[in-house]
Amino acid sequence: MTVLAEALKDLDEKKVYQLVEEKIKSGTSPLEIIAECNAGMVGVGELFSSGQYFLSQLIFSAEIFKNVMNMLEPLMPKSESDGSAGKVVIGTVKGDIHDIGKNIVVNLLRGSGFEVIDLGVDVPAEKFVEALRETGARVLGLSALLNFTYPEMKTVVEAVTEAGLRDKVTIIIGGAPCNEQVRQFTGADYYAEDAVAGVNICKKVYS
Amino acid sequence: MSEEIKQLYEQRLGRYQATIALEKTDRMPIATGSNYFAEVYSGNTKQETIYDSEKWLRAEEAFIRDFPEVDVLRDNRIWGPLYDAVGCKTYKLPGRDLPPRTQFQFVEDEYMKADEYDVLINNPLEFMMDRLLPRLLGELAEPGSIRARMALLKGGMAQVMMSQIMRNRSLYLEQKLGMPQPMTGFFLAPFDALADAMRGLRGVLLDIYRQPDKVMEACDVLVDEMVNLALATADPLKRYPIFVPTHKACFLSPKQFETFYWPSFKKTMERLIEAGYTIRAYLEGDWGHHLHHLLELPRGKVLCDIDNQGDIFKAKEILGNHLCIAGGIPDSMFILGTPQEIRERVKLLCETVGRDGGFIINGGCNIPYDTKPENYRAMIDAIIEYGTYDKSIDPKPRVPQPDGSKAPVQLKMVTPWEVKLAELGGVLGEEDLIRRPWELLEIMGYTWIWQWVL
Repeated sequence: MTVLAEALKDLDEKKVYQLVEEKIKSGTSPLEIIAECNAGMVGVGELFSSGQYFLSQLIFSAEIFKNVMNMLEPLMPKSESDGSAGKVVIGTVKGDIHDIGKNIVVNLLRGSGFEVIDLGVDVPAEKFVEALRETGARVLGLSALLNFTYPEMKTVVEAVTEAGLRDKVTIIIGGAPCNEQVRQFTGADYYAEDAVAGVNICKKVYS
Repeated sequence: MSEEIKQLYEQRLGRYQATIALEKTDRMPIATGSNYFAEVYSGNTKQETIYDSEKWLRAEEAFIRDFPEVDVLRDNRIWGPLYDAVGCKTYKLPGRDLPPRTQFQFVEDEYMKADEYDVLINNPLEFMMDRLLPRLLGELAEPGSIRARMALLKGGMAQVMMSQIMRNRSLYLEQKLGMPQPMTGFFLAPFDALADAMRGLRGVLLDIYRQPDKVMEACDVLVDEMVNLALATADPLKRYPIFVPTHKACFLSPKQFETFYWPSFKKTMERLIEAGYTIRAYLEGDWGHHLHHLLELPRGKVLCDIDNQGDIFKAKEILGNHLCIAGGIPDSMFILGTPQEIRERVKLLCETVGRDGGFIINGGCNIPYDTKPENYRAMIDAIIEYGTYDKSIDPKPRVPQPDGSKAPVQLKMVTPWEVKLAELGGVLGEEDLIRRPWELLEIMGYTWIWQWVL
């Protein structure tokens, strides 16, 4: 692991920014810097999965990563999307306006190199379908905090089926009220116990 | 109150109180704190519940009639018009910002800036009045404007109306239906007060890395305010626990919890317990790594609700016979499961976690809105069947604990009577006749200011 990746993994915020700035000055390509940061984020994910990091560390790492991306943004060559690990459409389902959990997953996915189409909160089924059609993403993530969304998640899965996309798209549900019983009810492919588990499923789909 | 109703009330309350105190009683109480299902059971929309207090009460009456085994109902509900009067931004309300049948939702934002810690620490009241409230309450956006002054007037009046509604409802439930409340009064853990309506989760997480000392200092300052808020809103007869929902502990690592969350939370709870109260704490999310700290509190004084993500069996193992716990049925089982599944779950819980009392069967901190009525019925029947301990015990309410604190808590005011009296240069008649209402209104005003952190 490089010094930069290590610093990100250790959540040493100042050191990360300092190293990134030095690398920019010395002419390292933005994509190389991102690759190093990705490695750091993978390290964070591993620490989370092994119980050494908690949600706060996951959120903070994503925050640092986001700031690095903002530093790199002006230097990025146009249309770099083909470098992505894959596309993921994600949103909080209709009726629910919470986004903390979804944002953690979105930032973590971006940190792992995915291109994320984040539809926001209170997203109706047809919008999910539309985004899947437009982007050709092979993963759909449905987020929820409130338990009255069970029927709504099912509605989204059915809408994807009706649109003829079901066999091309892996659907993951996640959020506090989700479990195996809910997954079965909605007809989704997976439920993700936590943000890292969700990212790992996306990696599996695109591997 | 008829003798029969009084007896019923006392039995229910006694059963609930004994369970919290870890004492023997006749059976496991059916004592959820937040029973959202009760609100919609009679067909009310969620808008009707928070805007039409009469319909709300009728719904609860219907619920109590059909589920007479229930020992406590719920309270701590919001009354929409108060939130409208001041334009509170932290809640989206059914019928106003959300469809009438959608539940209310909390919206977090960064209402306090990262560089405002010193203002909060040095003068919490000024911070609330001049900084936080104008941002939190849309109608106060331009302090000093006619609209803002009007909103303060309306807000105060609406508060009195709401208190009246809550009080009448509580008395009606008690005297006509023999139904006690699960909790009265509220506060937040100081860290949550900071992390909910002030800095928000993102803000506070950045702060604990970038300015940890300020976070700790702010939490310390908020202890006093939260104790005051809790005591000002609690049941003066000390029958019911004071309610505290916890929000951000589940995001913290054990080390962060020990540093930032626990010390001020513990201090707040200790002061309330010392003043003779019990507490009902919703341990939201997974508290698995933090639970053992609760053993530092006095035995039998805090009822801990374990959330869906928590593990009720592990919670029992950790808290043992020290604090009463509640929970054990996943929300999804109430909504998607079958009566048979519920029955088996209750049986398992009664034979394990609830074997020796000190346990209340509940969903994850509540009974969900979309619970199937037959599942709720199955839960009750199974609790009666498997959760009966000793039918010969006739539960009776406990005698309220006296205030054990060395200096009894003086509730906070902006302008204490002594100041006013000095300004008046003494009064000509009986001083107490003037002092008491003056202080009451001061206390109400002070409480009004702080309730908005919830």
